Amino acid sequence: MKIVRRDLVRDGPGSVKMVPVDSDDLWFAYNLIAPGDSVMAVTVRKVLREAASGGRDAERVKLKLEIKVEAVDYDKVGTVLRIRGKNVLENEHVKIGAFHTLEIELQRPFVLRKGVWDSLALDVLHQASDPGASADLAVVLMQEGLAHILLVGRSMTTTRARIETSIPRKHGPAIAGYDSALNKFFENVLQAFLKHIDFSVVRCAVIASPGFTKDQFHRHLLLEAERRQLRPIIENKSRIILVHTSSGYKHSLREVLDAPNVMNMIKDTKAAQEVRALKDFFDMLSNDPDRACYGPKHVEVAHERLAIQTLLITDDLFRNADVETRKKYVNLVESVKGSGGTAHIFSSMHISGEQLAQLTGIAAVLRFPLPDLEDIEM
Amino acid sequence: MPRKVFDGVDYDDGYDDDYDYDDLDDADYYGKAQPSEPVKETIKRGTWSCPICTYDNDESMTACDICGVFRNPLPHMNNNHDKKTATAKTSDSSSAKTQWSKTNNVEDNNHVKDGVLRLQANNKASASSSISKESIPSMESSSKLSTGNEQLGDQVSGASSRRNRMGEGTPSVEEIRPQSHNRGMSKSDLPSKSRAPYKPEKWMLPEKEGSDLNQLNLAIVGHVDSGKSTLSGRLLHLLGRISQKQMHKYEKEAKIQGKGSFAYAWALDESPEERERGITMTVGVAYFDTKNYHVVVLDSPGHKDFIPNMISGATQADAAILVIDASIGSFEAGVDPTKGQTREHAQLIRSFGVDQLIVAINKMDVVEYSKERYDTIKQKLGAFLRLCGFKDLSVLWIPLSAMENQNLVSASSDARLRSWYQGPHLLDAIDSLQPPTRDISKPVVMPVCDVVKSQSTGQVSAIGKLASGALRSGSKVLVMPSGDVGTVRSLERDSRPCTVARAGDNVSVVLHGVEETNIMSGDVLCHPEFPVPTAKHVELKVLVLDGSAPIVIGSQLEFHVHHAKEAARVVKIISLLDPKTGKASKKTPRCLVAKQSAILEVVLNGSVCAEEYSNCKALGRVSLRSLGRTVAVGVITRLIED
Repeated sequence: MKIVRRDLVRDGPGSVKMVPVDSDDLWFAYNLIAPGDSVMAVTVRKVLREAASGGRDAERVKLKLEIKVEAVDYDKVGTVLRIRGKNVLENEHVKIGAFHTLEIELQRPFVLRKGVWDSLALDVLHQASDPGASADLAVVLMQEGLAHILLVGRSMTTTRARIETSIPRKHGPAIAGYDSALNKFFENVLQAFLKHIDFSVVRCAVIASPGFTKDQFHRHLLLEAERRQLRPIIENKSRIILVHTSSGYKHSLREVLDAPNVMNMIKDTKAAQEVRALKDFFDMLSNDPDRACYGPKHVEVAHERLAIQTLLITDDLFRNADVETRKKYVNLVESVKGSGGTAHIFSSMHISGEQLAQLTGIAAVLRFPLPDLEDIEM
Repeated sequence: MPRKVFDGVDYDDGYDDDYDYDDLDDADYYGKAQPSEPVKETIKRGTWSCPICTYDNDESMTACDICGVFRNPLPHMNNNHDKKTATAKTSDSSSAKTQWSKTNNVEDNNHVKDGVLRLQANNKASASSSISKESIPSMESSSKLSTGNEQLGDQVSGASSRRNRMGEGTPSVEEIRPQSHNRGMSKSDLPSKSRAPYKPEKWMLPEKEGSDLNQLNLAIVGHVDSGKSTLSGRLLHLLGRISQKQMHKYEKEAKIQGKGSFAYAWALDESPEERERGITMTVGVAYFDTKNYHVVVLDSPGHKDFIPNMISGATQADAAILVIDASIGSFEAGVDPTKGQTREHAQLIRSFGVDQLIVAINKMDVVEYSKERYDTIKQKLGAFLRLCGFKDLSVLWIPLSAMENQNLVSASSDARLRSWYQGPHLLDAIDSLQPPTRDISKPVVMPVCDVVKSQSTGQVSAIGKLASGALRSGSKVLVMPSGDVGTVRSLERDSRPCTVARAGDNVSVVLHGVEETNIMSGDVLCHPEFPVPTAKHVELKVLVLDGSAPIVIGSQLEFHVHHAKEAARVVKIISLLDPKTGKASKKTPRCLVAKQSAILEVVLNGSVCAEEYSNCKALGRVSLRSLGRTVAVGVITRLIED
């Protein structure tokens, strides 16, 4: 995300002009823009004009509109951010108070004006403008008959393709059937691999599976690359890593991110940190359950007693909440940080964020055991 | 209580109390016997003539006997889901379960239709025959509108059908209306349900005792490299199932590849991948005969990554052989709680209802047939098996050596072994196993283990073990969850064609009329009128095994039921169960840790064919895995409709 101009006061009003560069930036913008802010951008609007002959003419006019945000919608599939709101800027074509939907696109600047730039928003802004740490990791997670191709980005994980076939077992005479079915499956995965994995954007590609499927696929990949002279694969042979997981289902992605050789490459990225933090939470829950809690009520109680050492929270909670709850959570995060603890804000588009969201979205590792939390209703 | 030797963990006493899922098959579950079929339909009440075929039907029938046309057209005709509707059952009986062959709708029925008649009529009907399922707990039955199904008329008055695809919710109680009034109007609008009885046909029942050997499905499990495939290969060779020429071929090829010691294992591991790596990857099936049984050997993989395949094999098993490597170090590695598979395999086969176990202590030649080693192993493992729920009497311990052919099919010739061991050899032990009970009288249910499309003939065949009922060529079968109906073209067992396959038989069914894309491993073949429900949201009663990470709401696991597997997510932990009493002890706990039993709800990514454990055991046993370990095993208590 390119920040063109910053004009703000910490914990006060201000405006920022920025240009989103990749789809991750749209996610950051989604987290920044809240109802009540105002966004100014160049957009296209269909305008009815009186033509000379008296008839009305509908014309698409490019204009600069500033709207007061009422709703923000992130389209995961199309990677487009839509902001709906009322017009507040005087404009020859559009009345003040008229509704409009702005589409924030890549490479198009927009100005965001907020009433209060709290620490969280500033954090997001800071992360967005950080040029380094682009984790992009492409993962092919497979098992016999099922494959997922996932792209682990800085703040989100997207599923690019899912392939499922039925592969017969190896019974006596049907062995030939097994081979041909397996080859067809690998061929499909290869096609998806070529289509969705772009080595110029991605740091490395990981092929993960239980058993030996990954080795078989890797062999197939290299052979086919040689045979069909597929340049992207041949040049980037060294950037393909093999990792062992326990299954080919999507939730095994956390095992991929845990693997040592992959961890080395992505250790400074958000995704890896999130996975590690969640793993620590679960370890604590199994070893010493009184030092781990989840659910807003329990966490609040723990916070009152200044017991929180690590706070895990998803960005979902901030985004969907009204001003009051948002402020409450912001205060929570700030006070945890202030008292020497750490707060991890999980992106709900990563697998660890999804898992945390399932678990009510907020969890904490405590400094000392609080056994009476058990009795408090969740 | 024997001292636990190898680890300090205290197993609950009640571990196996809770684990006795097999207790569910006691008579008390199935409730009082239903009154036998009312006899009345032969009362001459007059006849009505069918408008289509002009046959004179008895007054008690709502549909024509010959052509299946209803006497009175139905007021509501729903067109959805033809094949999948079930007629509800009636439950005027107690709240206990009712068995298949008992009729429920007893009342004052005039309309009785016994199983045979209905089957006949149904055969004429289209694929959209209504299905009646009796196995739902009585007192409850959900009532959804029936489809305008002609067959309904036969079933019962006041029947309403239930959507099969939606899985089963908790059915509500219904009553039967007396059939005498309202013949035609019955179905759709009336809330009561009835269950048509299922009566097995004559050809299904086994012929006179003693004329045919019972079939026994034997699973061979154990830690990786304990010698399972070699043992199976040896047995097959010694019993003459593999010719000498074939054996020579294996030996030669194995030596060329540098795997001379695997020669016997190659009889089971047939694919190039398995031979190259020297491991078993999928369950190898082979057949041999002993004095009392036709034995089907299910040689399972021991490698940790292939446990899903081993689960597939274990669901078919009636008894199991747990192979242990006696050599120093290997046994210890095998029983290691985290890295060894011996424990996980033992727990899994126990959860599949296997209660007879033969522990084959293999590679005794390496430890010089020492009695001390045998005793140490027996003691350590015995304690563990007792905790799993195996009774001491049903576990047999056999020391042997597959490599040297000692104590396999005849008493050992080695002096060292003979000096202290006088027990049975392996074949005798297999013969001494109790024959398992078979459910012939229920409608056919066959979970599909594998689907093979033959290149030459282009025919699709489904391989699996019949959990209940019987099949023969020409029988109609319904493939769930796709809903395709096909006919059985031929049956093959042990590469030999056979005429009838009964519950417990492991056969290959060649199907006609089923598309290859509509059937895959994990599906279930069933009777067109008694379809198996599918579900995406189930309630389970599970026991959490030790060594697993805590289970919380939102935990993502892999769900295994018969041969199907799906990714699943825990949505609710309903309550903890007290291991001693089995009653709920704490509502909505925060998380589940090892050795706790609980009731929880999971939502699956895709729907699977499953049934409550009390209705059908083979379709009700589940195992939950995560991160390469089996986290919990249990049974389905309820299918939840969404």
